[in-house]
Amino acid sequence: MLLLRGGLAIGMLIIGGLLLARMFATHAPLGAMLPGLVLGAAMIGLGAHRLSLIARALSSR
Amino acid sequence: MGADIFVGLGLVLAAAAGASNVAFLFAGLVYVCIGLAYTELAAAYPVAGGGQYFVLRGLGDIFGFIAGWAVLLDFTIDVTLFAWTCVDYLSQLAPGLTQSTHPWVHFGATFLLIAGLCVLNVVGVRESTAFNGFVSALDVMSESAILCLGFLFAFRPELLIHNMQFHWPSPYELMLGISYAIISFVGLESISQAAQETQRPASIIPRTSIALILTILIFALAYSNLALGMQPWHPILDAHGHPMQFWQIFPNNPDNQGKAVALLASQVPFYGAIAALYVPILGAILLLISSNSGVFGSSRIAYAMSSTNLLPSLFQRVHAKFRTPATSIIAFCSVAILELIFAALPALDPGAKAVYARFFNGEDGLTFLADLYAFGAATSYSFVFLALIALRLTDPLSPRKFKIPLNVPMRFRGLRVEFPIVGVIGFCGIFAILLFTLYTHPIGRIAGPSWLILGIVFYIVYRRRKGLPVFHSQKRDWKRSQIDILRNAGELELMDEYLANIKATDELRAKAEA
Repeated sequence: MLLLRGGLAIGMLIIGGLLLARMFATHAPLGAMLPGLVLGAAMIGLGAHRLSLIARALSSR
Repeated sequence: MGADIFVGLGLVLAAAAGASNVAFLFAGLVYVCIGLAYTELAAAYPVAGGGQYFVLRGLGDIFGFIAGWAVLLDFTIDVTLFAWTCVDYLSQLAPGLTQSTHPWVHFGATFLLIAGLCVLNVVGVRESTAFNGFVSALDVMSESAILCLGFLFAFRPELLIHNMQFHWPSPYELMLGISYAIISFVGLESISQAAQETQRPASIIPRTSIALILTILIFALAYSNLALGMQPWHPILDAHGHPMQFWQIFPNNPDNQGKAVALLASQVPFYGAIAALYVPILGAILLLISSNSGVFGSSRIAYAMSSTNLLPSLFQRVHAKFRTPATSIIAFCSVAILELIFAALPALDPGAKAVYARFFNGEDGLTFLADLYAFGAATSYSFVFLALIALRLTDPLSPRKFKIPLNVPMRFRGLRVEFPIVGVIGFCGIFAILLFTLYTHPIGRIAGPSWLILGIVFYIVYRRRKGLPVFHSQKRDWKRSQIDILRNAGELELMDEYLANIKATDELRAKAEA
């Protein structure tokens, strides 16, 4: 279960990174990119948070 | 809570067009304030009464009744609206259920769903927690996939700018859009409903609810921006064969408005091929679960109101065989069916359609329900903000493990209190939305206040018959009650803190008097 959750968290990090890269690649004004940037940042933040929880759970074993 | 966007998205896109994202942003900021207020109150007073209990405690009996009565309106509308849109989502796969072409079939299916939920709740079939968990997880993953893949493959920033510049709505349409956007954020009552069933709610509720609030806010904003800046996977053509943008399929099309997320998912490149098959079913299941939450939510609120003498004891009665509040469930499901009849009437009967066109701007069933939903939510939330401010001033001794940020320290009746600035901002925001609702919703401004007036008359008659004060509050021992609440919730440290606060204040008062 922990492995599956870890995989999902890494998936979130990758998708968040891809979203940020895709938005910056459009060279659009910041206001137009903002929704994609926020979503990408949220995915990265959530993925990192989940990974930190998994790391804490592993270290307490 | 996440199911509301399945209903709200299409309505907002139809009303606010190029400013749909701004409508969601405005409503979303108000929602954050409401969410924080509910989090603080639910953690401090973990009882199932929710909003009406906070208002009862902060503002007194009559206002507690009005807030509770508005919540009851929302719960009954919740039953009908979600059952209605459940059928709308299914119509994506089964066109025979489409409301505009088969109104009687749509009406019959919605009626059967409500009646079925009523029977299930009376008999008391337990909802499977594992099933709910599975559907919720699938929903979060699907919604994330729709958004992420949509932004990766279909989002065009220049299209978003174009739509915002050239399809900006009139102020009236923007107000209408904002009042619809708030229904995407309804469901905060569930936080306080969950509080009584949570062990150590003061610690658990803030953590969970803040994560939930942020997730729903990000989802709603992302959906609206994606819908405005989306390049459809397959070309969408109008009646003359001209290409249309995705959001343009919603204005004047209630069928599409009722299944917006399914339509959006089907237009995401590649993923849309699979999403078109399962998102309508997922949406329908989620909406059915939400409809069910309206059935048991209304009976719970009525039970809580009845136990504080705001409603007759009839609503506390439990069925001898099934041990469920059958009277409450049947009563509120009957109200939900009545609302369904009013909503479906214009499509079923040409005479009624003419009346609606003459007096109610020709509103259709979905907007009829959404009108009342927005009215009930804005009214009850307005009272909750006032209760938050009142309780900060009149009950500073109750320990608050979570406090809304931005407070001004001051003294009130000799005690040190903290005045919540966010409470005032939130009240202004939600009151503005209530005014927008009254101004822009022809049915909401008549049916909503009529529901409240009907309730107040009922309340006056009931309280007079019981010999209870009508416009004043019944005397209650809130200190005793708070100790019981904290003990029952397992918050023994907070209970000790509360008792110590009372003792310290009593000693200070005794010294001052001496």
